[in-house]
Amino acid sequence: MPSVSSLEEAAAVLAAASADGRSLRVGEDLTTEGLGRILEHEAGDLTCTVEAGVRLSTLNAALALSGQRLSLDPPGDPTVGALLAENTSGPLRHRFGAPRDLILGVTLVLADGTVANAGGKVVKNVAGYDLGRLVCGSRGRLALIARASFRLHPLPKAARTLVVETDDAARVVATLLRSQLEPSALDVLHPGRVAVFFEGSERAVDTQLTAAQVLVGGEEAGAEVWAEARERQGTAGGRVRFAPGELGAVLSTVSEAIVRPAAGVAYTRDEPLPSGSEPQSPEAAAREGLEERIRLAFDPNGVLAA
Amino acid sequence: MGIDAAFVDELRHALGREHVITEPEQLRVYECDGLTGHRAVPEVVALPGSTAEVQAVVRACHRERVPFVARGAGTGLSGGATPVAGGVVVSLARMNRILEIDLESRRVRVEPGVANLDVTRAVAGDGYFYAPDPSSQQVCTIGGNVAENSGGAHCLKHGFTVHHVTGLTVVLPDGELVELGGKALDPDGMDLLGVVVGSEGTLGIVTEITLRIVRAPETVRTLLAGFRSTDAAGAAVSGIVAGGILPSAIEMMDRLTIEAAERSVAPGYPEGAEAVLIVELDGVAAQVEEDADEVERICLGCGAFELRAATDDAARALLWKGRKSAFAAMGRMATDYYVQDGVVPRTRLPDVLRKIEALSAEHGLRVGNVFHAGDGNLHPLVLYDSEQGETERARELAEAILEACLDAGGSLTGEHGVGMDKACSMPRMFSERDLEVFARLRSAFDPDGLCNPGKVIPTPRLCGEVPGPYRVHALERIGVAERL
Repeated sequence: MPSVSSLEEAAAVLAAASADGRSLRVGEDLTTEGLGRILEHEAGDLTCTVEAGVRLSTLNAALALSGQRLSLDPPGDPTVGALLAENTSGPLRHRFGAPRDLILGVTLVLADGTVANAGGKVVKNVAGYDLGRLVCGSRGRLALIARASFRLHPLPKAARTLVVETDDAARVVATLLRSQLEPSALDVLHPGRVAVFFEGSERAVDTQLTAAQVLVGGEEAGAEVWAEARERQGTAGGRVRFAPGELGAVLSTVSEAIVRPAAGVAYTRDEPLPSGSEPQSPEAAAREGLEERIRLAFDPNGVLAA
Repeated sequence: MGIDAAFVDELRHALGREHVITEPEQLRVYECDGLTGHRAVPEVVALPGSTAEVQAVVRACHRERVPFVARGAGTGLSGGATPVAGGVVVSLARMNRILEIDLESRRVRVEPGVANLDVTRAVAGDGYFYAPDPSSQQVCTIGGNVAENSGGAHCLKHGFTVHHVTGLTVVLPDGELVELGGKALDPDGMDLLGVVVGSEGTLGIVTEITLRIVRAPETVRTLLAGFRSTDAAGAAVSGIVAGGILPSAIEMMDRLTIEAAERSVAPGYPEGAEAVLIVELDGVAAQVEEDADEVERICLGCGAFELRAATDDAARALLWKGRKSAFAAMGRMATDYYVQDGVVPRTRLPDVLRKIEALSAEHGLRVGNVFHAGDGNLHPLVLYDSEQGETERARELAEAILEACLDAGGSLTGEHGVGMDKACSMPRMFSERDLEVFARLRSAFDPDGLCNPGKVIPTPRLCGEVPGPYRVHALERIGVAERL
C-alpha cells in the first residue's frame, strides 16, 4: 500500500489517480503514515501543528514534555488524519469536545492534487470557510487531510475517578449535570454504573470528588474504568444519538452501551434495530443531496468516492 | 427578469402587504450594518415570519435570479449584512420567538431574530446561561451570531458560537430546507453545522437554531491589575497561559483607551496605569480560588502596581465598566475611529503591540488598544478625523496593522468576520488556490451566486483586477515547499 510522506507526493498520487480515472481510499489504498512530523508546538500559545500520519499517542507523548495535551482520548490510537476523518472522541468529550471542537486549521490535498489551507494556527479565527471542521467526519471522501493545527490544554495536576453503581443511571446523571461540578468525563457504563472523572488542582479535585459522593454516593476507582469505557466504545456494534433529556428512555431500550449523556450519544453493543420502512424526511434527503453536491465540488471525478 | 411589480406582489401575497417594504425612505434604514462606511440601498426588504415564508422569499429570488442578503439586528462590524443594490434584504427581525426550552437536555431552540442576551434571560432563573457573549449581546441576534461565529469576552474558556450550536434549520439558496444536527452532538458525516456557522450568510438563511446552554458556575472571581507598561501586562498574560490556568476572560486596555473610559464613564482605574488587565475566572470554588491566588501572584511578579478583586456582581460590574464602554468612549477622543479585529499568537502580543505603536507614530495617528488578550484577538482603534482628510491615512494604518498580525502568524479577523470590509484582504492570508476551494464549497450551496454575494471571497469587481500580495500562510511557513 503506497504511503505518502510529503504534500507533493500526496498531490502527485491523487492527481495521477484523478487523471487515470482510478479511485482511491484514503487509509486503505493510500496511507499518510509517512506524513509523521510534528511541525510545530508553540507551548506558550497552547497550539500545535502536525502532519496527518502522527499517532495520537506519539503527539501526546511529545506534548507532555511541556505539560500539555491534545484533549482527545478516542478508542485505539488513531493517526491525526483518522481521528479527524472519523471525528471520534472518547470520555474526555464531555468537557473538551470532539476533534471538530479543537481543530484550528487544516491543509487538504484535493482529489485533483490541489493543496489548500483553511483556518490557521491561532485559537480564534473566523476568516474564510471552516474546511477544517467540514472534513471532520467526512471519512476521507472529501479530500486527503495532510496536516492540522489544534488547540491544546495543560495537563491537569491531579485526576480522580468516582464510580457509582446504580440501577437508575439517568437519575445519577441528572443530579451530577444539575450540580455545579465540572467533571472532565461523565460516562454511563450501561447497565449498572456511572463513572465521573475530575481533573484540576489536587484540592479542587478532592473537593469535587467529595461533593459528588455526597450527591450520588459511589466509590473512588482507578483508571481501568476509562480503559473499559474506551474498549467497549471501540468494539460497539452501533451508535444512537438522542436528546440528552431522554437518557432514561434510551437506557431502557438498549441492553449494553457506553453512553456520553451530555452529548446525547450512546455506543451500543448491538447494532440498533433498523427503524423499519419509515420514509426518509424531505429535510434528511435534502441534506444528503447537499453532501453529494459538496463531494462533487471537491472531487468531481469521484476519486475518493469509494 | 429581476424585481418587477409581479415579484413584489408575490412577496406581499406570501408575507402580507405590511411585511414587504419598497418605500425609498424606509429602505434607507437597511442601507448598512455596523460598518457604516459601506452602503447600498436594496430594492425590497422582506420581513418573513416563519421558515415557510423565508422559503417563499428565497424561492422567488432564486427563480428570478435576484440577489438576497439576510439581516439580523444589523450590528455586525464587517459589512456582512450590507445589502446588494437592486436586491432583496431578508430581515429576520420578526422571527424572534424562543421555541423551546429543554432544561433536561440543556438545549434551547430559537428563531434567528432572538437577541443573544434573551437566551440567557430565559434560562438564568433555572441556573443556566448561554455562553457566547459578544459585546453587542443586548441587541445582536442569534442568527447574526451563527453567521459570524461570534465570540465575546468569555469565549476563552467557554468557546465560540460554533461550540454552542447543536442544530440548525437552513433554507438553502434555492429555497430547499435542510436540517443539520439536532439536540444530540456528533451527527454522522461531514460537519455541515461547523461550516454553516461562521459562513457569514453566504450559504443559506438559518431559520431555527438549537443552542447548548451551560450551568452557571459555582464561583466567579474578577481581578483587575494596573501595569506601568503594556509589555508588563503582556508578560502577565503569557504567565497565566503558561501556568496552565484557563480564565474565562483576559482583557487588556492600554493608556489611550483607559483615558477614554475615564472621560466617559469614570471607572476609576488605577492612576498612572499604562495598561490594565481584567482577568475573570469561573468554575468550582476550590479551583477558582486557587487560580485567582496564582493569577495575583503572576501579575505582581510581572510588575502590577495595583490589584483589585471582585467577588460579587456589583463590584464586578464596576471593574468591567471601563472595558465595556471602551468603544463608545472613543467617541470622546476623536471624531472617527476604525476598528480592527486581527489575531496574533498569544506569545507574539508584546512584539505586535510595539509594532502597532511604531506604525501609529509613523502614520501620525493615535491607536487605542483594547482587546481579548487571552486569545490574542486585538481590537486596535485607529483614531482619525475625516474632515481633516485623514480617512485614507487611517485606512492605510489599519491595513498595516493587519499585515503585522498576519506576519506574526495570525488572522485577519477573530470574531467580526470578513464580510465586505476584509474580502479584498483575504489574498493576504490565503492563496488563490485556497480561495478557489472556498469558492467550490460556496458554489455547492449557491451555484447561482445569489446568497449574500460580494462577501468573504474577493471578486475582481470588488477589489480590482490585481489581488493583494500573497503572504505565506501560517501553516505553510513551518514546513518546506508547501505551496504546490
